[in-house]
Amino acid sequence: MAPFGAALAVVLAAGVAVLAGRWLPSSVSSVAMTAPERVPFLGGGLPEVHAWSRYHVRYYSMALLFLAFDMEMVFMYPWAVVFVEEGAIALVEMLMFITILVLGILYAWREGALRWA
Amino acid sequence: MGVIARLASGADVPVFPVVAAGGRLAAEALRLLPGVRVEDTPRAATVLVVVGRLTRALLHPALVVHDQLPQPRATVWMPIGVDEAGDPEGLLSAFPSVTTVGAGDTAGLRTVFADLVSGVRASDSPALPDMEPAHWRGVGPYGHGGAGMTGGVPFGRPLPARAPDPDGLELDQLPLQLGPLHPGLPPGLVLHVGLQGDVVRHAEVGANPYQSWPGDPAPGPLDTATFVDALRLPTPVADLELARARHHLRWVAQALRLHGLEALGLRVAALGGSLSPTDRCTVQAVTRRLAGSRSLAWATAGVGVTDGGLLDGIETRLETGPVRRAAGDTGDARSDDPAYQGLGFEPVVHQGADAWARLRQRLAEATQAMDLAERAGMRVRDPGPALEGPRGTIRLDAAMPSTALCELLPALLAGSEWGDAVTTVASLDLDVEEAALARSGSAPASGGRIAGTPTGSGHQNGGRPGAGAR
Repeated sequence: MAPFGAALAVVLAAGVAVLAGRWLPSSVSSVAMTAPERVPFLGGGLPEVHAWSRYHVRYYSMALLFLAFDMEMVFMYPWAVVFVEEGAIALVEMLMFITILVLGILYAWREGALRWA
Repeated sequence: MGVIARLASGADVPVFPVVAAGGRLAAEALRLLPGVRVEDTPRAATVLVVVGRLTRALLHPALVVHDQLPQPRATVWMPIGVDEAGDPEGLLSAFPSVTTVGAGDTAGLRTVFADLVSGVRASDSPALPDMEPAHWRGVGPYGHGGAGMTGGVPFGRPLPARAPDPDGLELDQLPLQLGPLHPGLPPGLVLHVGLQGDVVRHAEVGANPYQSWPGDPAPGPLDTATFVDALRLPTPVADLELARARHHLRWVAQALRLHGLEALGLRVAALGGSLSPTDRCTVQAVTRRLAGSRSLAWATAGVGVTDGGLLDGIETRLETGPVRRAAGDTGDARSDDPAYQGLGFEPVVHQGADAWARLRQRLAEATQAMDLAERAGMRVRDPGPALEGPRGTIRLDAAMPSTALCELLPALLAGSEWGDAVTTVASLDLDVEEAALARSGSAPASGGRIAGTPTGSGHQNGGRPGAGAR
């Protein structure tokens, strides 16, 4: 029974803590905000529309970076396993591979794919 | 007073300035006061400081910001250029309680703050009536609205309309009115922007809140008052050039603050505030340091480019000025000014036409102004019809340069990210109150709207004269 008693005490204490956590802030903060006090700050203006809006996340640049680095990692796992056996040749091969990937990133950078706007 | 209240009242006073007519210089000086911290948002401030003469168009935005200060809060008025009775229309009575404090009176501000946190002074009640803009609940059990995910009027506000995106998508565009009290924009500038994400799709300049109504006192004092006065009065060349260097250093300080270099900005502002002819080497050192800054170059290069005839395509003519000279134009009214003959004056010019070129241009002009002030000696400039001010040529019978600079904004801001838009606006160094100064023969500025800005949708708040406040 003793272990169950301890578990029960923990559950009860947690329940009390949750209830207190919900009740305390509202009882301490007695200030109710009026509608104009809740409005977000726009430098003196008032919002005309709701802030729910869908905006362009520009997945293109993210996809590009993901592809570049993900393909590198996919190749690097088996490479790491055989690196000790192969030695310097493996290192040179990996450097060549990464150079090609970096060239791709530099090209994307120059083309402005990493620009947000 | 309890221990906690005593400790709290010893902290820096967090203030949010409302820059009213004639208050720009005093509001910038607030940043240099010891024991005062100027906040960039009313949510972090305790004392709302109205600096200068409140205008009707500024009243409603000021009341909105007043209610956005968390409790406890207080309102303070610093009269600038007017006496204590300088509120003939009684606009300040719309605030629950206002204490008048002299400009730069730190002790007065501290007293208000200490009384507030110790409970001696009651916190301001809200100034605007507690009314939702509309009944918040839309259709359906959660008030989320009509058909699909995007119907209804949640919390009394419609959802944003869609607009085309350069990638061929139709995406929501948030119409926002930013300003006239936005800390990232020059005081008084109202921008009606359409935002997709953080990209500014279009921007229009809204009604000028400093526009004088019939019967209002004249605007000002302007931050270019020395130059405007020099059109009519004989002025020592050294004074003019020192005022120019001071103006450019003030601008540099603001630009540094907007780029997150607040401490450096404060040092430059302090240098500009106490500038004397012997500070030539210090100005040179500041110029060298900032013009060689790679992070500033990275943040401002290629931003807000004024090429492709943009400077000539506006309604009001921008004759000269740092914005033109940073685009490779050698025009400068001082070249033909007899007072500058024999001083070895050569206009400074930069290429690039972007925010980085304008920053280096103003730094170089500040250094040049210190040199000219030293060389001018006791030389006095006779009054003349045209004068090179720090923003461009000032004439007795033409619009001030800020009017033309405001007209540049819609074309410059469209398509830029919000951070770049703030950089661009700051790099133009425009003063909205100067743009409100109507001159005979200048573009018509009646109707409370800056000349040349298109009227369109999204201006519902533009001309609201604060009638909803009591």
